[in-house]
Amino acid sequence: MPRFFLHIDDGTQRIEDEEGSKLTDLASARAEALGAARQLWAAAMLTGRDIGMGSFLIANDQDDVIETVELDEALPEALVKRLRRR
Amino acid sequence: MAFNNRLLRALSPADQDVLRPHLRWSELERGTVFVSPDQPITHVWFPESGLSSIIAMAGDDQGIEVGLAGRDGLVGMPLVLDANRTPHRIFMQVAGVGHSIEGDLFRTLLDDHASIRKLLLRYVQAYSTQTTYTALSNAMHTVEERLARWLLMSHDRQDDDEIPLTHDFLALMLGVRRPSVTIALHSLEGLGFIKATRGLIVVRKREELEEFAGAGYGVPEAEYERLIGQLR
Repeated sequence: MPRFFLHIDDGTQRIEDEEGSKLTDLASARAEALGAARQLWAAAMLTGRDIGMGSFLIANDQDDVIETVELDEALPEALVKRLRRR
Repeated sequence: MAFNNRLLRALSPADQDVLRPHLRWSELERGTVFVSPDQPITHVWFPESGLSSIIAMAGDDQGIEVGLAGRDGLVGMPLVLDANRTPHRIFMQVAGVGHSIEGDLFRTLLDDHASIRKLLLRYVQAYSTQTTYTALSNAMHTVEERLARWLLMSHDRQDDDEIPLTHDFLALMLGVRRPSVTIALHSLEGLGFIKATRGLIVVRKREELEEFAGAGYGVPEAEYERLIGQLR
């Protein structure tokens, strides 16, 4: 299985994933990033703490960024619609 | 030979002499599987160093760590409790060394020596307190607080400040995705409590880490010391 690195761009700095994870393909790396984004939003809701704007940078085993996953992509559609109406 | 395993150490010299001829010294490499779900448990292991993980399985390849045992305890607890299998998976997470004893023989020795059984039952009570506080922590605490707790628990079970834990394992410990581990480590590092490098976490400010971990850390450790003796 190929190794992917899931770095985090929190808007001000890049938090490095130093170890990487063995994942089947890019689709499962995306799924991992989206799952993590949901966990971050959930924690932010529960603690009332802001997580700031940010995104995941998916890099391949050469550490080249091949895909970006925005944290907002993990928000439930109903919530996005509700926020747009405001 | 003096024991580093806290349970063997807590036994009376006479009880140590009962076990000693049957203990086999073994290297416990990272990844060694001691117990597989619903398979007969063949031996009991008393780690002298390293860390073993008890995993509650959710299907064949997913699970969450529910318990930790190193030099404070033993692996193969169901045999103390008159059961010979468990749905859990138990494997070595940080390499170490330890003693093993054959399962049937171990059970016979417990039948014949009530004082050994009593000490091990008190350990089961201490371990069960640990798992109840894991439940508390999983329900009430943030990933950062839970990470702080697991790092303290790992730190308690070794002599130096360098804990060789991979991010993959921390994700399993905490039941979170890998990037959540990266972020939690980054936060604790930002506070100056730890230094995280590839595959290695160095504890820098132990007292601050304890304070940060809150109610999840401290009670099970005090209970262990009340029932067994010195933990660290």
